[in-house]
Amino acid sequence: IFSREKLESLIDELKLELVASDVAYEVAEEISSRLLKAVDEGLVRSREDLQRVLKNILIEVFEKAGSVDLLSVARANKPCKLVFLGVNGVGKTTTIAKIAVLLRDNGFKPLMVAADTFRAGAQEQLKIHSERTGIPVFTGKYGSDPASVAFDAIQFASSRGFDALLIDTAGRMHVDIDLVNELKKVVRVVKPHFKILVVDALTGNDAIEQARFFNEAVGVDGVIVTKVDAYEQGGVPLSIAYILGKPVIYAGVGQGYKDLKPFNVYEYVNRILPDLES
Amino acid sequence: MEMVFENLKESIAKFFRSEKYEEAVNEFIKDLQKELVKSDVNLNLAFEITKKIKERALTQEPPVGVSRKEWFLSIVYEELVKLLGGDSKPSIKPARKPWIIMLVGLQGSGKTTTAAKLAYFYKLEGYKVGLVAADTFRPAAYDQLRQLGEQIGVPVYGDPSIEDAVEIASRGVKYFVEKGFEVVIIDTAGRHHKEEDLLEEMRLISSSVKPDEIILVIDGSIGQQAYNIAKKFHETTPIGSIIVTKLDGTAKGGGALSAVAATGAPIKFVGLGEKVEDFEVFKPSKLVGRVLGY
Ligand SMILES: Nc1nc2c(ncn2[C@@H]2O[C@H](COP(=O)(O)OP(=O)(O)OP(=O)(O)O)[C@@H](O)[C@H]2O)c(=O)[nH]1
Ligand SMILES: Nc1nc2c(ncn2[C@@H]2O[C@H](COP(=O)(O)OP(=O)(O)OP(=O)(O)O)[C@@H](O)[C@H]2O)c(=O)[nH]1
Ligand SMILES: [K+]
Ligand SMILES: [Mg+2]
Ligand SMILES: [Mg+2]
Repeated sequence: IFSREKLESLIDELKLELVASDVAYEVAEEISSRLLKAVDEGLVRSREDLQRVLKNILIEVFEKAGSVDLLSVARANKPCKLVFLGVNGVGKTTTIAKIAVLLRDNGFKPLMVAADTFRAGAQEQLKIHSERTGIPVFTGKYGSDPASVAFDAIQFASSRGFDALLIDTAGRMHVDIDLVNELKKVVRVVKPHFKILVVDALTGNDAIEQARFFNEAVGVDGVIVTKVDAYEQGGVPLSIAYILGKPVIYAGVGQGYKDLKPFNVYEYVNRILPDLES
Repeated sequence: MEMVFENLKESIAKFFRSEKYEEAVNEFIKDLQKELVKSDVNLNLAFEITKKIKERALTQEPPVGVSRKEWFLSIVYEELVKLLGGDSKPSIKPARKPWIIMLVGLQGSGKTTTAAKLAYFYKLEGYKVGLVAADTFRPAAYDQLRQLGEQIGVPVYGDPSIEDAVEIASRGVKYFVEKGFEVVIIDTAGRHHKEEDLLEEMRLISSSVKPDEIILVIDGSIGQQAYNIAKKFHETTPIGSIIVTKLDGTAKGGGALSAVAATGAPIKFVGLGEKVEDFEVFKPSKLVGRVLGY
C-alpha cells in the first residue's frame, strides 16, 4: 500500500507519459486530476489500482463518445451525403478514396465529389483516384464556388442512381474566417448526413484546437485519424474523443486504398496505456 | 520582452513577488516546462533546456546594475534563442551556382507548396530557378507542381510516365544545369520514419543528384514525434536546413524546436499560408515568442 505522496508522484509520472504520446496537455491534466480524485475516494492503493483506474477512465472517454457504423449511416440515407473536413494536408482526399472503396466493396454505388476547387492539383488528384479505383468522380472548375460544385453533384447523383456522395473540401485553417464561412456554406447547401473531421495522428496539442473550431463552426459527427502507421501509440484519438465527445470511426494506416481500419477502442487503449514499471 | 512571455505572465508576477530567489526560480522553471510542452516542444528537450537555464540562474552572477530577477528572464529568452542558432539571420544566399535544393518531409507537410514558394522567393531575388517534380507516388503530384509553376512563372521538369523518382530527379537536374539555371529545387514524395523503402528512395535520389542543400519541411502543428522523425531523416540524408509550414494556424511550432535540436540544422523560412507569397525568412526570436505565448 502506497502513501498518498507516492501515489501523487506516480500520477505525475503517468501524466508525463501521456503527454509524451501527444495526449493534449489539457486532457492529460484532467485525466490526472480524476486519478487524484480516485485516490481521495480510497479507490487506489497500489500501482496496479492506478493503472486499472486509468484504463477505465480512458475506456469511459470512448464509451461516452459513442460509436457509429458508417455503413449503417449510408444504408439509412439515400443518397447518403458525407462531407470531409480538416486542416491542410491531413489526408482528406486520400481518405475519401479509401471510404469510397469501402462503400463500393459493401455494395454501394459511391460518387466522389471534388469540391476542392482551390488547391493546385486537387481536381487531378481525385480524378486519378477515380481512374485507379474505377469509382466515378464529379469534378468542378478551379476557382468556382465549392458549394455549387457540391450542389450540382447532388443533382447529378440523384439522376444517375448513386447512393453515397463523398464530398472533398479544400484544407483550411480553422481560424481562417473566410474559408470557414465557405465551409459553412457547403454544409448549408449539402445538408450532409455525416460530417467527418480528418486529423493527422502526428499532430501535437493543436489537435484539440482543430477539433473545437471545426465542431463549433459546422459540427462534427465523427473523426478519422490518419497516418496512424507513422504513430500507432499517438494520443490524438484520445484527446479528440475527450474534447469533442464524438467517436473516432476509422484510422488511416497507409497510403493504399485498403489502409483503413475501423478504430478499435480496446486495442488502442492498451497501446497507449503507460507502463508503470519504475 | 514583456510581450514575449504573455502566457507566462502569471508565473512572472509570482516570480517577482516571491522572496526567495532559488524557490522563485524553481517555481518558474516548472511553469516554463509546462508552457514549452504545451507548445509541443519535445518533453526531454524541454527538461534539458530548463535544466540548463536553472544551472545558469543558480551559479552565475548578473551583470552590474541588473537585478537578479530581470537577469533570470533574459537567460530564459537567451537559451531558447540559442537553441535556434542565435538571433542572427540565416544565410539564404546560395553559396555557388548552380545550387541544388532537395525538399524532404512527412506526407502532407507542405513540400510541394514550399517548393513553389521557395522558387518564387529565389526568382524575385533575381535567380534563374527551375523546379523538378520527383514525387512519383502521390496522385497528381506532378499536376500540382506544374500548376504552381505556371502561377509563378517558373519552369517545371517532370514526366508522369516515368515511375522512378531517382531517374526523374537526376534527369531534371541535368536538364536545368545544362540550360544554365542557377537554383534547382527538387520536390519529393512524402514519407515517414518507418517507411524504410521510401527512406531508401530518398537516399538514392540524394546520392544521385548530390544536392547542395537538403531541406526538411516540417508541419508547425507536429507534436512530440518531431524529434524522432527529424533524427531519422537526418540519419538517412543529412538535413542542411529546415522550413516550418502552416504557422498561420493556432499551433505554436514547438515541434520545430525539436527538429532543430535533432538535426542541428537551422530554420530558414516559415510558411504562413497557402499562397506562394505567404512565406518569410525565419527569425528565431519570433518562434521563441510564439512558443512562449507571444
Ligand atoms: N502514411 C500515410 N500517409 C497518408 C495517410 N493518409 C494520407 N496520407 C498521405 O498524406 C498526404 C496528404 O494527403 P491528402 O489526402 O492529399 O490530404 P488532404 O487533407 O486532402 O490535403 P489538402 O487537400 O491539401 O488539405 C498524401 O501524401 C497522402 O498519401 C495515412 O493514413 N498514412
Ligand atoms: N495554411 C497553410 N497551408 C499550407 C502551408 N503550406 C502548405 N500548406 C497546405 O498544406 C497542404 C499540403 O501541402 P503540400 O504542398 O501538398 O504538401 P506535401 O508535403 O507536398 O504533401 P505530399 O506530397 O502528399 O507529401 C496543402 O493544402 C497546402 O496548400 C502553410 O504555410 N499554411
Ligand atoms: K500534417
Ligand atoms: Mg485534399
Ligand atoms: Mg507533395
